[in-house]
Amino acid sequence: MAGRFFPAALMARRNLTRTKMRSLLASLGIVIGVVAIASLGMFGVALQYSFTQNLGDVGNQLTVYPNSGENVTELTERDIRAIRREASATATVSPVMTRVEPVSYNRGDPVRETIYGVENPAELYEAQEGRVSPFRTGALVGSSVADEHDLHPGSQITVNGTNVRVQAVLEEGEPFSSTNPDNRVIMSTNSFSQRGYSEVYVIESTGTAANETAMGIRESLNEREERVFVQELGSIVDTIEQQFQIINTVLAGIASISLLVAGISILNVMLMSTVERREEIGVLRAVGYQKRDVLKVMLMEATLLGVLGGIAGVVLSIGAGLAINHYAVGDAMAVFRLPNAWYVGAAFTFGVLTSIVSGLYPAWKAASEEPVDALRG
Amino acid sequence: MTVIDAQGLVKRYRTGGQTLYALAGIDFALEPGEFVSIMGPSGSGKTTLLNILGLLDTPTEGTVLLEGQDVTGLGDSKRTSLRKQTIGFVFQHFYLLPTLTAVENVEVPLLLDSDPGVTKRARTLLERLGLGERLDHKPDELSGGQKQRVAIARSLINSPKVVLADEPTGNLDSETGRQILDEFRRIADEDDVAIVAVTHDDLVNEYVDRTVHLVDGTIGRERKNGG
Ligand SMILES: Nc1ncnc2c1ncn2[C@@H]1O[C@H](COP(=O)(O)OP(=O)(O)OP(=O)(O)O)[C@@H](O)[C@H]1O
Ligand SMILES: [Mg+2]
Repeated sequence: MAGRFFPAALMARRNLTRTKMRSLLASLGIVIGVVAIASLGMFGVALQYSFTQNLGDVGNQLTVYPNSGENVTELTERDIRAIRREASATATVSPVMTRVEPVSYNRGDPVRETIYGVENPAELYEAQEGRVSPFRTGALVGSSVADEHDLHPGSQITVNGTNVRVQAVLEEGEPFSSTNPDNRVIMSTNSFSQRGYSEVYVIESTGTAANETAMGIRESLNEREERVFVQELGSIVDTIEQQFQIINTVLAGIASISLLVAGISILNVMLMSTVERREEIGVLRAVGYQKRDVLKVMLMEATLLGVLGGIAGVVLSIGAGLAINHYAVGDAMAVFRLPNAWYVGAAFTFGVLTSIVSGLYPAWKAASEEPVDALRG
Repeated sequence: MTVIDAQGLVKRYRTGGQTLYALAGIDFALEPGEFVSIMGPSGSGKTTLLNILGLLDTPTEGTVLLEGQDVTGLGDSKRTSLRKQTIGFVFQHFYLLPTLTAVENVEVPLLLDSDPGVTKRARTLLERLGLGERLDHKPDELSGGQKQRVAIARSLINSPKVVLADEPTGNLDSETGRQILDEFRRIADEDDVAIVAVTHDDLVNEYVDRTVHLVDGTIGRERKNGG
């Protein structure tokens, strides 16, 4: 089949070079269309990428809160056991207590702060300075707290009149995560007189596992009354990504209007060409070209216009993509990511298809002309 | 065997309530190796007859047998294949493709077959017609006579049984005209190709076996040469 197309390509190519300027202008439309679709698509991808980069890896986290709307103010040991049952064996389940106390740093005036009580902080956090475990009497402070008050391992803070030694400054957490320790002061649960917990973090290995666990927890704890409220960061991320998908589609849709215009200009060029070459086409039919052969030659011209414009468009789009990613993501090479390839590929395909579809009518018109009429002069 | 046998050909055109008979009942037969000219005033139906004999057009009435096969009612696709296999056309205005070289123009009828031998045959044909020096020239670099010879080579590339030529010497000086007529005579004699040439040029009649005169779509007196 490819072999049979080659002579048609020869004629098509010669015909296009006969009216170089016209052919160039016609495929310029395709170039613009392809660049518009591809670069708007890549712009959307870059936006989404820089967003998820900020969001970090939170899709596999859950937070379980008591539902104060149903007068549940804290989670009991029984609740924790139920949560552990629902979570998979490899999951980290970390119950957290909170209380509000006057805290003073560096012998300043005390301010009321929330103190977080975590049994085993090593399963959630790593130290930037100092050591997280063993953890019994000291305090762990987040990096923002430490920066603000110039705290280091060994510094003293006063919690409700008692001196407590800072044992470690924690690594920065993910900005959107509910476990984020940056603004927190964490102490051992031993220092708490209450028994109930105010939230429970569950960290699964995957987003799907997190989703299943969330459903399991809701089922077992909210059977009779809405005891708990389960927050899934993953589902929020999903929603936001869906929004981005919509934005991308709309952008690409707007861009394809330029392809429509390109298609019309190709239609115009091909129609002019069939009128000018009426007699030549009549000769082809007279010497034994079937209608479908004429169709093939004409469609080959449209295809060549589309492929030429498409290739130029792809090259320019990759250039545009480098610039977009350089400014939006800070890494020009991010242009070589899979979703971008998808948009560039789709833009190229649409460009070529537009060209072929625009060539259909002129080609059909040329092919269905009676050779006797065309040759009467 | 008779290559073309046409009986009772009528071609009617209906334009604006009037009926015009381009052909009004014509019988025409052609033997292999025969060189026939068709003469007649403008509008007498010469081109119409040629188109019907060449399966480009269909008669309103009458039958056309091509090598004994009735081709009168065939559809477009079948007629197109038969044209490709058995008929060669030389058009009045050459109608070469301006984008292709002389050799490529000669190859055109068989170009889509991707037959590797075609290029060689096209060259041989052009060389035989004295265009060996002009093989890779585009039509706008050729003289009228050279273009006409390229057109003749194109009509022969498919080894046709019949060559139909409309005014083959129309725009040529008598010297070039003779070259082309010599070539037609040779093809008819050596290759047994039947040739029909529409012409206004009396020079042609020195070369043909017989001349058919058309008047208002009917055959007038017929003259046989040297027979
Ligand atoms: N499609 C058509 N519709 C109407 N009339 C037609 C059509 N084709 C041909 N005719 C008429 O048929 C007649 C014969 O035309 P034809 O072209 O065969 O003449 P011709 O002998 O080749 O003339 P010329 O020497 O000028 O080429 C003419 O009167 C022409 O006007
Ligand atoms: Mg005529």
